[in-house]
Amino acid sequence: MSHPSAVWITGVGTATPLGNTYADFGNHLLAGRSGVDRVQRFDVSEHPSQIAGQLGEVPCPDEVDTEEFARLHRLEQLMRWCCMGALRDSGWWERRREVRIGLALGVGAEWLEVWEADALAGGRRVWQPELDVESMIGRTRRVLGLTGPVVSVSAACASGNVALAQARNWLELGWVDVCLAGACDMAVTPMALAGFGNLRALSRRNAEPQAASRPFDRQRDGFVMGDGGAVFVLESAGSARRRGARAYAEVAGYGARSDAFNMVIPSPDPEPAMAAVREALDDAGCNPGDVDYINAHATSTPVGDIAEARVLRAVFGAAVERVPISSTKSMTGHLLTAAAAVEALACLVAMERSALPPTINLHEPDPECNLCHVANEARPAKVRVAMSNSFGFGGSNTCLVLKAV
Amino acid sequence: MRVGLEALPELRRHPGPVRGEPLPTSFLKHADEQTVAGLAAVYKAIHTAGLQSTNFRDWGVAAAPRFLGRPAMAAALQRFQTEGAWGVSPHLIPHRSLHSISGTVSQALKIHGPNFGVGGGPGGVAEVLLAATAMLECQKLPGVWVVLTCLDPEQAPDQAGKPAEGTQCVGLALALTPIRTSGSRIRLRVVCGTPVRESLVASEARDALRSGFDLPRLEALLRLLHSESSGDTRVVQLLDPGSRIELLQTGVTSLLDRTAAPARQRSLSPQADLGQVVLADR
Repeated sequence: MSHPSAVWITGVGTATPLGNTYADFGNHLLAGRSGVDRVQRFDVSEHPSQIAGQLGEVPCPDEVDTEEFARLHRLEQLMRWCCMGALRDSGWWERRREVRIGLALGVGAEWLEVWEADALAGGRRVWQPELDVESMIGRTRRVLGLTGPVVSVSAACASGNVALAQARNWLELGWVDVCLAGACDMAVTPMALAGFGNLRALSRRNAEPQAASRPFDRQRDGFVMGDGGAVFVLESAGSARRRGARAYAEVAGYGARSDAFNMVIPSPDPEPAMAAVREALDDAGCNPGDVDYINAHATSTPVGDIAEARVLRAVFGAAVERVPISSTKSMTGHLLTAAAAVEALACLVAMERSALPPTINLHEPDPECNLCHVANEARPAKVRVAMSNSFGFGGSNTCLVLKAV
Repeated sequence: MRVGLEALPELRRHPGPVRGEPLPTSFLKHADEQTVAGLAAVYKAIHTAGLQSTNFRDWGVAAAPRFLGRPAMAAALQRFQTEGAWGVSPHLIPHRSLHSISGTVSQALKIHGPNFGVGGGPGGVAEVLLAATAMLECQKLPGVWVVLTCLDPEQAPDQAGKPAEGTQCVGLALALTPIRTSGSRIRLRVVCGTPVRESLVASEARDALRSGFDLPRLEALLRLLHSESSGDTRVVQLLDPGSRIELLQTGVTSLLDRTAAPARQRSLSPQADLGQVVLADR
């Protein structure tokens, strides 16, 4: 049984290329469906990569004026949808002013995305600093009537794990009673798709969008960008028990280390990533053999997937042969700042439904990524302990361990 | 530190008296102006605070730029509109994202602890102090670099994407260490969930303290501490109902109302010479 000060997830709000609710996301994830398609929102005829995991219109939450919602930047719409959804799901929405609720969100490039959207709509906001008076996270806090502290964090593709760790820290310190934590990104924009494309990081399998994201497969040729987000409600086990709240999982372990090698290229030295994984397992009080499922970072790049496989082999030793692993980016695409949060959500699905989500498009496993793959189809399995790796530009390596409660 | 635009090219090549192996001169070639100022501030702080022999390997880095990349983005948007997708530099995203400064500092100092960016816009100073102190306390790190940067004043860049004439790049670096391991005379304390006693701070001063907590204001608070040659001095910055940060210099008297006096605050010099800041016991 969890200690009363253990931190539990008691609510979820999400929107992803696989669905805008936890239930839809779980259904499509376990069905092995790809959310990747040709980009529809803007002209991609000159982009090297023309595909992405996309969100359609972000749903407007109940109680929010639809016209006002439509005026918000899509990233802020997504934040609002996910935060309100998580609070409702947890049972805190109606009582949100009775407790001190904090907000820790991964948000990687808010201002770049705001300035770009404005410029493409004919505006000049990047030249008008006087208009930039409030951040999205500050406004979200104000509009939702939250009274705890807020923080937006970015460790690139590892941001969601950093946000969850911050929220857990705040709960341990008693700075908040409840904390919203997760990450959102709407990075599929004309300039970001071009920037990552020109960096030669993206798949160019434009003729077969659903087959483009293929982590660990020999034919992989880069990642596929995606939009989406997931926000969780975190509170102490004691608080959740007193309320009789539904508990999804315990945030049991976290590790973070930096490569200190290069802003973009993963370090050839696996030690920092290995240290992050070991730190997370130690923090959770687990041995590698206790892990029932690994959600890999594996983005479908030639170099990165091999590097992660090396890390897992080194940390898990012989256990790597029997611990099932998959990369759900094969279905969602790579949600960048939001990736870690959405992959934590995939772990919750695995725990709740006793089923392992697959890596789709894995038809010819790369021998250098020789792991215990859940290839192409979901597999039934009891999941008590799930681990999720997330690494990012800037040399960040993070690992999250979730335990069933 | 504050750097005029004219001094930036030299600082980009030589950001400071580097410890150990020198950085390649191209290390900051594609970095944002704020990254250059932030890294230079870290090097300056190392020397000012006598931390040359400190091993930073397991420290963390939390960096809070303000509107990072506005000049570069202005230029990139124009280029994109004329040249299309092929005109977007592959360096734009790696060097103008919220985590770009923390990643660069981590790489320059060979720091293998966690690194991440915080804030990015208004409110970033409070956010990074909360995030860094919580990480220091809960994740048991030997230290955390807090790096704050901005352009001052924040003005519209020119059409070519250069910051406007008269703009200064500001970098402020704080080395936070747990109080149990440090003898520094300056302490940082974060209080959340406990409302400040209203009687200690006059209402008009409270409003003034609550508004506009940005990098220049933090500079000013630190300057105030450094200007006090004797006595305990505590400066308080209210963040929101029930949250505040306190900077304490050990010595004699302890006065909230010392910093609450508006006249005193207005007289502060906008420049700060940084020392080591220590997380106080909770």
